Order: sequence, then structure tokens, then C-alpha cells
Amino acid sequence: MGGIVPVSRAPFFFRGYDFPMKKTLGRVATALLFLWITAATALAAEADYDAVFREANDLMGAGDLPAAVEVLKKVPAPKAGEEGDAFVRSRMQIAKLHFAAKEMDQALTAAREVLAIYPDNSEARNFVASVERERKPRYVIFFQDCLKFLPVLLKGAMMTLLLVVCTMLISPLGGLLIALGRISTFRPLSALCWFIIWLFRGTPLLLQLFFIYYGLPSLGITLKPFTAAIIGLGLNYSAYLGEIIRGAIQSIDHGQTEAAKALGMTYGQAMRRVVIPQTYKRLMPPIGNEFIALIKDTALVSTIAMVELMRAADQMFNTYFNVTALILAAVIYLIFTTFFTFLFEKIEHRAGIYERR
Amino acid sequence: MSDVKPLIQLENITKRFKSLTAVNGVNLAVHPGEKLVIIGPSGSGKSTLLRSINFLEEIDDGVIRFEGKEVGYVRRHGKLHLDRQQIVCRLRAEIGMVFQHFHLFPHMTVLGNVMEGPLTVQKKSAAEAREIALAMLAKVGLTDKRDVYPATLSGGQKQRVAIARAIAMRPKLMLFDEPTSALDPELVGEVFDTIHALADEGMTMIIVTHHMGFARELADRVIFMEGGNFLAEGTPQEFFAEGMNNERIQSFLNRIL
Repeated sequence: MGGIVPVSRAPFFFRGYDFPMKKTLGRVATALLFLWITAATALAAEADYDAVFREANDLMGAGDLPAAVEVLKKVPAPKAGEEGDAFVRSRMQIAKLHFAAKEMDQALTAAREVLAIYPDNSEARNFVASVERERKPRYVIFFQDCLKFLPVLLKGAMMTLLLVVCTMLISPLGGLLIALGRISTFRPLSALCWFIIWLFRGTPLLLQLFFIYYGLPSLGITLKPFTAAIIGLGLNYSAYLGEIIRGAIQSIDHGQTEAAKALGMTYGQAMRRVVIPQTYKRLMPPIGNEFIALIKDTALVSTIAMVELMRAADQMFNTYFNVTALILAAVIYLIFTTFFTFLFEKIEHRAGIYERR
Repeated sequence: MSDVKPLIQLENITKRFKSLTAVNGVNLAVHPGEKLVIIGPSGSGKSTLLRSINFLEEIDDGVIRFEGKEVGYVRRHGKLHLDRQQIVCRLRAEIGMVFQHFHLFPHMTVLGNVMEGPLTVQKKSAAEAREIALAMLAKVGLTDKRDVYPATLSGGQKQRVAIARAIAMRPKLMLFDEPTSALDPELVGEVFDTIHALADEGMTMIIVTHHMGFARELADRVIFMEGGNFLAEGTPQEFFAEGMNNERIQSFLNRIL
């Protein structure tokens, strides 16, 4: 509520002042002014107050707001059957002047004077509502903001979660393939995997995402944002995990491979049955680290037209200029990272169960 | 013995590590049921020779015959290359090996370790592999340890599991690479007894060891190796009673015993 409307777009009588619902109120006021001018031409009696408003306007222009209020108070409440537009206009102006001076009680009194006679006056009602909102305790406002932003942010968070889970499923497999390729004795394969790691670890993820989403179309490959994001994150994290997995495989005692070979196992069987299962426990801490980084790195895909948590928070923040959206997004990120941290610790514990004596 | 075909026959085996010649043109024949013990100072090439027999070391020259057939290598441009993986694996499956440092699979239970060969290599069903493994564990006296992980075992128990794992493949030949060298002295006995029991069943075995009990009580034949060559060969009697009338062997035995 009460977004900032550039001052140049506000009706002249609000210029220089700033308060909630300025735009709406401005439009209402403009409409009333138009009505008043129409009515004033028809009813000569109303024309008497024209001078009052002009005087008040001049005082406002001069910056003497209390004096302007006093002048505006000269407009009396309409008697039964009388036209009351001038009265409404004067009291609403008084209310706004008080509001600008942060005199909330007086602002409310003025608006309620209007409501006493015209209970359905929408301008006065909206004014009272927004002033009362301003006067609520901060935590109530915060709570209401949370409720307002949460649906949009949760939708973004679901997308973030989907990206994270997909990358977590893809990158260990990609990483394993890259690791096995790297330690292969077949030179071209080893060189190819070295190149992949070199390329994807050596350039920013942001650049890779840009290239995949904005650059590939010029080569005739157009991808949906989600596909592009998964490819970018998947390749990048496969490269990182590839090096981690290679290190873990090579850290397993060579005797294990020899014992497997001595039993008659092929290289593949020895890897699958003996070596790789022993890497799980060693892999969990560094991979957990990478995956925590991944949760936050998904924010980068907001640059390729994906609406995930960061983008949703950014949209809310830009629309309402309200920090609550950013705080909420931070809390959701923290919930994700905390959950996965505990999950990885649990898996690490399970994976190392055979080492306990 | 000469009328029986040797189980394994090595001709002119040579293995070089860069400038060092670890095994220098060795010839050896082991007949079915024979127990051969190889002794010698460390660095003499015993382990390398043993490891060449199941292709864990790729030899630079020579011929390996298994049951009379030349196996494991193809000669290309005058150089030896290890044969296809499948063929080498099939040969290794017929030869059991026990290592100095056991090399049990730490992520599998004792039973899992012993089942692994029949299950993965011989593609036996889980039930069948389990049956074999339980029989092997009974043989080495570790049935009660079947569900624990190797980390909880003593060195002697680990080595007995390693023996059970090797014999579960029903190998025709067993290779022991210093099976008791990594054990505390009081644990040597149980492993020695296990190997002794295996020998009594008629298993063909080649044992590289510093433990003279093997040579004295188990061996049909003892070979003394030094500098990549066989320095002497004889019955245990000839070795320990007479020291082969060789100064080097006598000084080695004096240091060990």
C-alpha cells in the first residue's frame, strides 16, 4: 500500500507532499474537483467558497500549513438539503495537511467529520483506513506484509527447490562420469574430461547461463529458461563434483583395487563394487558444501527469465519497496540450507557406519 | 612328479622397474598339490614374482603357462602386452591371493567379503554365494563374526577372512604374499594353522614369507631368492639342516632364526 508515486505524476495539490495512496487519493480528489467545478457553475451559492480554497492554496504554496488549515475550516458543514462538496473537499484537504505533518489524530478527526455526514464517502474511508494502518504496531504490519508476500515467494521457492533437486540428481552422475573419464588411461577421453572441468570451473556460472540462454539461439539452439538453467547448473556442478569424486576415488587405498582384481573382478566391477562405495563417506562433506553453494547459486538463473525465489523477492521489493520481501526470502533460503545441511550430515553418518568399532 | 603336468610354469620371467631389475629371468614350475615357499631378504623380488603370477605386475619378458597353456600376454612388435581384460580376469579367478595387509573390503560385512567373489565374479545367486561363504567361514573358524564389519576384527581374524574370501572362489592355486608379516606375534599362530589346514586339503600354494615355520613345517620345496634370481632351491631339510652349504643363505637364516 501507499507506493511511491513520482511527484511529477501527482495532481498539483499534492505536489511536494507524500503519503499513502497518494495516487488513488489524487484521482479521487481530481474527480471531486471536476464535480465541484461543474456544481459550482450550476449553483451560485457554492461559488462563495472558491475564494477560501484559493487562499488556502496560496498559503500551502507559501508553506504555512497551519494557516491553510485555519482558512479551510471556514467552510461550514452543510445543512440538510445543502450541497456538501466544498465541505468534503475542505475537510479532506485539512486531513491531508495534518497527515503530511504527521498529526494523525487531527487528520483522522477531519476525515471523520466527513464520514459523520457522508458515511459512504470513499475518499474519506480510504484515508481513514490507510491512516489507521500506519498507526498499527510494526509487527502487525510486518505480519500482514508476510502474508501478502508469502504466496508469491513460496511459488518462487518451489521453483528454486525444483532447480536444486534436479541439479542434485544430475551433477553427481555427471561428476562421476567426468571423474572416471579423467582417471581413464584412454588419453582422448581423459583430455576431454580435463577440458570440461577446465572450461566450467574457469568461467563464471553467470556467463555460462547467459551463453546457454542468450548465446545458443544464435547457433540455432533455442532453449526454454528452465532447460537452459538445468543444463547450466548441471554442467557447472558436474565439473566441480567431477574433481571432488576423482580425488575421492584416488584416495582409496590401491590395495582395494588389487584385492578386487585378484578375485577376478574387471575394472568396472572393482569400481562399482569396491572403490566407489568406499568414497561415499569421504564425498559427503565436500559435496554437501557444493550443494549448499548450489542452493544460493540458483539465484543466478533469475537473470535468464526464470522466476525463482530471488526473482520473486526482487519483484515484490520493487513493487512495494518493502524490505520484508527480502527478509522473507533470506529466511526461506536459510530454511533450505539448514534442511540440506542436516540431511547431508545424516547421509555421511550412514555412509560411514562400517568404520565404527 | 615329472610325469605330472605342472599347474603353473614360469619361463624366463623378467620384470623391470625403470632401471631396477626386480625379477631377472626366473624359471619355475609348480605341480598340483605342491607347497612352495619362497624366502629371501626384502627387495629380493619375491613379492614381485608372486604378483606377476596373477598379472598384478605386468612382466617385461618371459612366458607364463597355466595348466600347460601359455596365458595372459600377447606379443606385439616384440613387446609383451597384457591380454584382454576378460581373459586376465578369468585367469585371476582361478588363482587366489592373500596379501600382507589383508585388503578386506571395509564397507562389506565379513560374510559380504567372502560372498563377493562368487557373487560378482562367478555370478552365482545370492543364496548360493551365501552358502559357499558360510562354509568357508566355518573352515577358518569365524562363523560367529559373519555379520560384523572388518574394522572390528583383530589382524589374525582379518587375515583368516581374507583367506576365506580367496578360497571361496575355489582356486586351483593359492598365492600368499607375506601373510603373517603385518600381524602381532601372538596372532601369527592362528593364521599359520589356517594355512596349514588348507595345505592338508591338498591345495597348491606358493608362499612368500619371512616366517620360517612355513618353510620348515609346510614346504615341499624352498626357494631362496636374492637380487631377482633364485640363489638356491631344495627341501626344507636341505635348507635348515645343512644351510645348502651357502654362505649367503646361512647368514640370512642366522639373522632370521
